[in-house]
Amino acid sequence: MSAAKDDSVVAASAQASTPGSFDTVVVGAGPAGTSAALALAQGGASVLLLERGEYAGAKNMFGGMTAYCPAPEQLVPGFWEQAPWERAVTKRILSIVGGASSTSIVFQAESESDRPAVGAGSTSDRSLTGFTLFRPRFDRWYAEQAVAQGVTLLTGCRAEGLLVSDGAVRGVRVTGVDDVVEAPLVIACDGTLSFLGQEAGLHGGPKTEQLALGVRALYALTEEEVNDRFGLKGREGATQEFLGCTAGVRGGGFIYTQTDTLSVGVVLHLDSLKAGGIPPYDLLERFVALSPVAQVLRGARLVEYSAHLLPEGGQKTMPRLSTAGLLVAGDAAGLCYTNGLVQEGMNLAMTSGLIAGRVGAEALAAGDVSASRLSRYGEELRKSFVLRDLKTWRRAIGFMQSDRLFSVYPRVVGALMEEVYRSEGHPKSKILRLGRRSIASALTVRQLISDMYRAIRAYLC
Amino acid sequence: MLTDELFDLVSYRIHPDPHIRVNAEVCVGCTHRACTFSCPARCYTWSEERERVDFAYETCLECGTCLLICDREALDWHYPVGGHGVRFRLT
Repeated sequence: MSAAKDDSVVAASAQASTPGSFDTVVVGAGPAGTSAALALAQGGASVLLLERGEYAGAKNMFGGMTAYCPAPEQLVPGFWEQAPWERAVTKRILSIVGGASSTSIVFQAESESDRPAVGAGSTSDRSLTGFTLFRPRFDRWYAEQAVAQGVTLLTGCRAEGLLVSDGAVRGVRVTGVDDVVEAPLVIACDGTLSFLGQEAGLHGGPKTEQLALGVRALYALTEEEVNDRFGLKGREGATQEFLGCTAGVRGGGFIYTQTDTLSVGVVLHLDSLKAGGIPPYDLLERFVALSPVAQVLRGARLVEYSAHLLPEGGQKTMPRLSTAGLLVAGDAAGLCYTNGLVQEGMNLAMTSGLIAGRVGAEALAAGDVSASRLSRYGEELRKSFVLRDLKTWRRAIGFMQSDRLFSVYPRVVGALMEEVYRSEGHPKSKILRLGRRSIASALTVRQLISDMYRAIRAYLC
Repeated sequence: MLTDELFDLVSYRIHPDPHIRVNAEVCVGCTHRACTFSCPARCYTWSEERERVDFAYETCLECGTCLLICDREALDWHYPVGGHGVRFRLT
């Protein structure tokens, strides 16, 4: 992607920048904002989509995989066949790094090639699939679909704040255009920090306890090398998450496969990062030096570095979702989580954006954008998988705040598995006995029972 | 060092005005100086000579970590003017 091409797009969008009168302003052309804009346009509303980056996606990076969800197909027919994704993920690896060894669980969906449109070799069961993709490409393409459906996209335009009168949001303040854009409805999809949501009093400002920092390095290989190193064929993809690789800082490591690149990085809870005193790039450096990571990176060329904050507080720290004239969706609504097994965000963003857009379009058609009317958005979201999953996994999300999960347990697993496989001419012991020995020095029985109780409540029943 | 290479690979369109301003007077009493090791872009560095935190906005990745990490409200924090700042090409 050349710089010249980027610049021409900026110029084109700046020329088209005469915002007239709109029913809605959507702030942020990420997956939530573009989904909301599409749903509004399809509901008959005129939509201005604002993006502070010089193109949609210029400011965006993420872990590397979006879980399949049907929402965007309802907005753009044949969405997953056309969207510029990299690989259809059919293989998921969870690795626990402990001491001088690592232990992995590998899930692999059976390959079938009866879905040629999505790529030979990928599973035909989409619900088992996620897609790796590059946000600057994906977001830009998705925003173009919105433009094709009548949405006015204005890039390089930062929303400065809200226009409020009589206790209702009535537009946004911007720079570079006419200073204000009035509209009866604003949908804030302005990301994790959501200054707009804060200004509207929907949340009291983000806190370190509810956010994580992701840092990511992109490495180039060849398509064949990626396939060989991860045992993939065609457009199949793999993800690998690592626990116990962050020097005691709560967080984890990841590798995601794109077509001919690997995204490698660490995610770190902010409060723990602050307390730990080790810079994120040092933790990244240690991570890429781990032998299971260094193995797949041999000979790879470093091509880009990025960082971003992500919400990880779950429903406990979610902001209010609406007020008179305003809805929030995506990261701005805190809709992103990990329960240790899955990491979800983009699917929640696109689905919440879709729901916000539909509720918004109906409210506009009814001529009622009051707080009580717009509270239907929260109701719809609670009926959808978005808030139901956050509720289902609330204890697991809380469990991710446990320091022992990231330091003690990976060491215990490592010590245990080393004993299981050790062969030195001495009699072997059964697992429970080995386990007792590995655990004895690391934590108390009381701690173990308490953690087991929490884990059972979080994951099993 | 991987770290030094990382920072060279990021693309920016830098605005002449800083989008974040650090109030050095508020900074002075800080004991943890967590911004100096938490910022993923190494924008904050402790200067022994000047006995203060030096800040360079040009290489900022706009993540917001510093805003959250600072518990003395020493930062006047904004996103860069539209169309400026970091531009991710791929990741």
